[in-house]
Amino acid sequence: MRVERSLQRKLCVDGSLMKEFVLSEPISEDFADYLRNFGEVKIMTLHGKPFLSFEKPHFISVKGIVGEDTVEVRYAAGVHDLTADLFHLLLFHYSSGKEIGKMKEIEAAMWRMIRVKLGI
Amino acid sequence: MAGDPQRIVYMNNAATTWPKPPQVIDEVARSLSMPFFEEGRSTLAGQRNYPGETRDLLANTFNAGPAEHFIFTQNATDSLNMAIHGFLHHIGEPCHAITTELEHNAVLRPLRTLEREGRISLSIIPFDERGSIGLDAVKDAIRDDTRLMVMTHGSNVLGTVQDISRIGEHLKANGIFFIVDGAQTAGQIPVDLGSIPLDVFAFTGHKALFGIPGIGGFFIRDPSQVDPVRQGGTGANSGYPYQEEEMPSRFEAGTHNYPGIASLNAGIRFLEGRGIRNVENETMQMTRTLLSKLQSEGSIVIDNEHPDLPIISFNVVGIEPDQVGFILARIYGIICRTGLHCAPLVHQRINGGRGSVRLSLSCLNTPEECEQVSDALGEVARGAG
Repeated sequence: MRVERSLQRKLCVDGSLMKEFVLSEPISEDFADYLRNFGEVKIMTLHGKPFLSFEKPHFISVKGIVGEDTVEVRYAAGVHDLTADLFHLLLFHYSSGKEIGKMKEIEAAMWRMIRVKLGI
Repeated sequence: MAGDPQRIVYMNNAATTWPKPPQVIDEVARSLSMPFFEEGRSTLAGQRNYPGETRDLLANTFNAGPAEHFIFTQNATDSLNMAIHGFLHHIGEPCHAITTELEHNAVLRPLRTLEREGRISLSIIPFDERGSIGLDAVKDAIRDDTRLMVMTHGSNVLGTVQDISRIGEHLKANGIFFIVDGAQTAGQIPVDLGSIPLDVFAFTGHKALFGIPGIGGFFIRDPSQVDPVRQGGTGANSGYPYQEEEMPSRFEAGTHNYPGIASLNAGIRFLEGRGIRNVENETMQMTRTLLSKLQSEGSIVIDNEHPDLPIISFNVVGIEPDQVGFILARIYGIICRTGLHCAPLVHQRINGGRGSVRLSLSCLNTPEECEQVSDALGEVARGAG
């Protein structure tokens, strides 16, 4: 699973950066389960469609519909440069055998830099 | 769901109306089927003078004239920039200006830019609990050096229409130049510029006047009070080295947006056929019905309980506005607007800058669509609760 193309990018009012991506395949429940290793995943089924939200404070949030291939990824304010690759890496490591340990290391390294940058 | 025009429920009309009436689309196509009638250039039999005809329509619709005092621009933002910068260039010295918390960035950003450059000092009047700007607040803000007030006629977040007649009377009595942003009201409610004491009324074509994006304009009472901030070709008097003084050439340099003007022409005629008062009544009836249904959902918090315009701003408890917008679009095919709607100061007051979900209707929405929207939002609200 990978990003096929980027549809739009927008700087949001809270300073976060939104990017809309088309993925190479639809989001699956399996991918949602993988994301649970790295943040809070909520699925709300409305009108028969499962709306997925993934929240990882200070990093990124993701919105999408399970079964569809378009997602909106929002990169937290002030640290876009540090988290720019996170969603792509999540897709890559999910596709590479749902690898968790390496992804956790990357996440920890990002977190150290985020804390320094945000002074938290 | 996405991408199928038959199934889209479009409620982002305060940004841009959609769909456009068929006669608007036909008129744009017709305008492109012949060489454009360009004043001062060679013409052919059968060509239509869209700028001239449309100026006449505008003068009739807004009950103001002469028609040449209606100027074509790109949109309301363009009109406001031309009027604000042109007026301040004309007076040529720093002054005090007044605006309000209800404003769109089309007003706030030009004024803030001028403030940063030291060309004006700026007072921003708060709105009251009903979302209105009171005359007393305006009176309180006026200083000896106040020369300009710029304010919206209708809030694009709260949907409240302001009493610009009373405010205008007071400003006129005090010699203060009054620029009104009519982006949300032009075409949506009857606007009688013949009786409202204002100096400039800025409007856009792509909202309730049903034109296409890229066409707007303004009415100016006394052109001599605003300097032209653009200079260029007008098709006439080409040997003269400066911008012409005659109207409308004083403010219209360069080639017109002919397809845009044609769309505005057809949009106004569409409204004339239905009657703007009827359009207002029909749209507000749908808005009130939808509002009432949303109010009955316990976890939907309405920001504007009594709009005068077909605008409903709200939040759903437990879910961010952008998530609501995403769900409405992707699951239900409902197009709305989320965020600050380019009016940041309003949101600071009503919800600390969190933003809102905004539904905005046009007369081409239907009661059935309102049902769909209220049903969808009921599901979202219950799902998030």
